[in-house]
Amino acid sequence: MKSYDVIVIGGGMMGTASAYYLTQEGMKVCLIERDDIAFGTVSHTDGYIGASEKEPGVDSMQGMASMKLYDEMRKTFDYDFEYSTNENGDPIGFVYFCESEFEMEMAKKQVAENQKLGIEQYMVSVQELRELEPNCATDLLGGMWVPKDAAVCPFKVPFAFVQEARKTGLLDVMTRTEVVDIIQDPNTKAVQGVVTDKGETINAPNIVNACGCWAPFIGAMVGMEIPIEPRFGQLTITEKAGKITQNRLCMEYGYFLTKFFHDGEGERPIPDLVKAYNVCLNITSDLTGNTVIGGCRLFRGFSIKSEYKIMQACAMRGIRFFPMVKDLNCIRAFGGIRPFCLDQLPIVSDVEEVPGFFMAAGHEGDGITLGPITGKLISQYVTGKPLEFELAHEIAWSRFKNKDIAALKAKEEANTRALQEIERKILARL
Amino acid sequence: MARLDDDMLVCRCEEVTVGEIREAIAQGAFDVVGVKRRTRAGMGLCQGRTCEKLVQQIISQELGVGPHETGSSSVRPPVRPISYGALAEGEF
Ligand SMILES: Cc1cc2nc3c(=O)[nH]c(=O)nc-3n(C[C@H](O)[C@H](O)[C@H](O)COP(=O)(O)OP(=O)(O)OC[C@H]3O[C@@H](n4cnc5c(N)ncnc54)[C@H](O)[C@@H]3O)c2cc1C
Repeated sequence: MKSYDVIVIGGGMMGTASAYYLTQEGMKVCLIERDDIAFGTVSHTDGYIGASEKEPGVDSMQGMASMKLYDEMRKTFDYDFEYSTNENGDPIGFVYFCESEFEMEMAKKQVAENQKLGIEQYMVSVQELRELEPNCATDLLGGMWVPKDAAVCPFKVPFAFVQEARKTGLLDVMTRTEVVDIIQDPNTKAVQGVVTDKGETINAPNIVNACGCWAPFIGAMVGMEIPIEPRFGQLTITEKAGKITQNRLCMEYGYFLTKFFHDGEGERPIPDLVKAYNVCLNITSDLTGNTVIGGCRLFRGFSIKSEYKIMQACAMRGIRFFPMVKDLNCIRAFGGIRPFCLDQLPIVSDVEEVPGFFMAAGHEGDGITLGPITGKLISQYVTGKPLEFELAHEIAWSRFKNKDIAALKAKEEANTRALQEIERKILARL
Repeated sequence: MARLDDDMLVCRCEEVTVGEIREAIAQGAFDVVGVKRRTRAGMGLCQGRTCEKLVQQIISQELGVGPHETGSSSVRPPVRPISYGALAEGEF
């Protein structure tokens, strides 16, 4: 019977990052993935990495910690995961556009908070905005500029982690293998191994749940109720048409309004269709000449099927901020599901009730950024080493002991119902 | 069938060679989608319409499986390129 120090379930961002950092600690690891490496959300996503598209505080700080690790990886890895820079070799940087006074006020607050945390982030005037992005609309009020945020090819990062981990000789990868059960000691509840869909048992005293949107199914095998739900997103890609943005990521400030649930927030001046599908613009032209235009945030189960109505709303938003998008051709659209954790932070830690069981899931729209810091923390939890992130307790499973999950769930459902109501009205009008 | 030369171009849109596809298979790819993610073969303008058959053939040779076991790329909208102007007007 096979046995390892650690079994990592899930060959996405979190699973491969965990496997990599565990092998660096000398652990013998078995990585189990039901399809292929990078089969899940990590291959249906954008690849922006940064500290600025998060809430100031623990959220933006874990982003910053991960960016440091990405910087190490791009210098030491042989496998090229396309850490993209502009023509000068600098990170691409992010730009945010504000189209209302309300958004300008929110942005100013956020810049002040993130600057205090050491994140380089500035307000820019309309003139500066136009210098950064000559193709953007002329009627904007200003924006934010984050020079150090960057981008990678999202699905190449897992391949890179696997190839680099293999060099240690400590990693076994089992693809096309699904975990269907977890074996526990009947008295202590400590994990002992997993059962696969082929009926094989694999032993290990440590198991990492890195199954993204599917993490709740693995959690249920050890009696955990994990508050993660799939949150749909959709992107479109243009033909190769050169630089629409100056290779950097451009987002409307409304991103924060569609991502986080805050009470009493201002409304964006947007068409109903954009509102119904909770669409906000992110757009970037890469060095190969394609431009990616997205995206939306919706709760509608596990389906990743693209919808024309959402493509329409993305197109409207693209043209609103970059009028020249109107004449470009769209060659493809695709959807993905973000592992949304109800309190809007990932779950990365051990699990007191189940000795030897570890959580690395729930990173919503930030998993590409947060892969490295998550993998590193998991390796430290498993080996009992000091944790490298001082706010690790705020993203630990133990936080749910004093949280009202039902209230969080109610908020999410109210939000979804409101959007569905708008959608119904629009469709009724057609 | 004769073994294809490593230098031969398979995907013209993204300039991917037979050798690069063999390397992806050696690293663990077992189907068309896995090869595509590791090499970009099939991600260009034609979206694999030209090269998919050849990719299937190479996988089938390398892994000794039937061509029908090598999968195919998922079909994604739009059916053919469409301008964003037309999309925004709901003309699809
Ligand atoms: C449209 C979109 C845009 C995004 N843009 C960004 C961005 O710009 N920047 C950013 O940082 N993040 C972004 N994200 C978020 C990011 O993609 C996710 O947070 C991240 O991919 C999650 O990685 P993961 O490893 O947790 O999950 P996954 O990649 O889904 O990996 C989980 C794996 O577990 C496997 N699995 C499940 N059940 C089992 C089982 N029983 N046995 C074995 N294997 C199993 C699955 O097959 C899957 O491969 C975006 C997401 C979407 C949808």
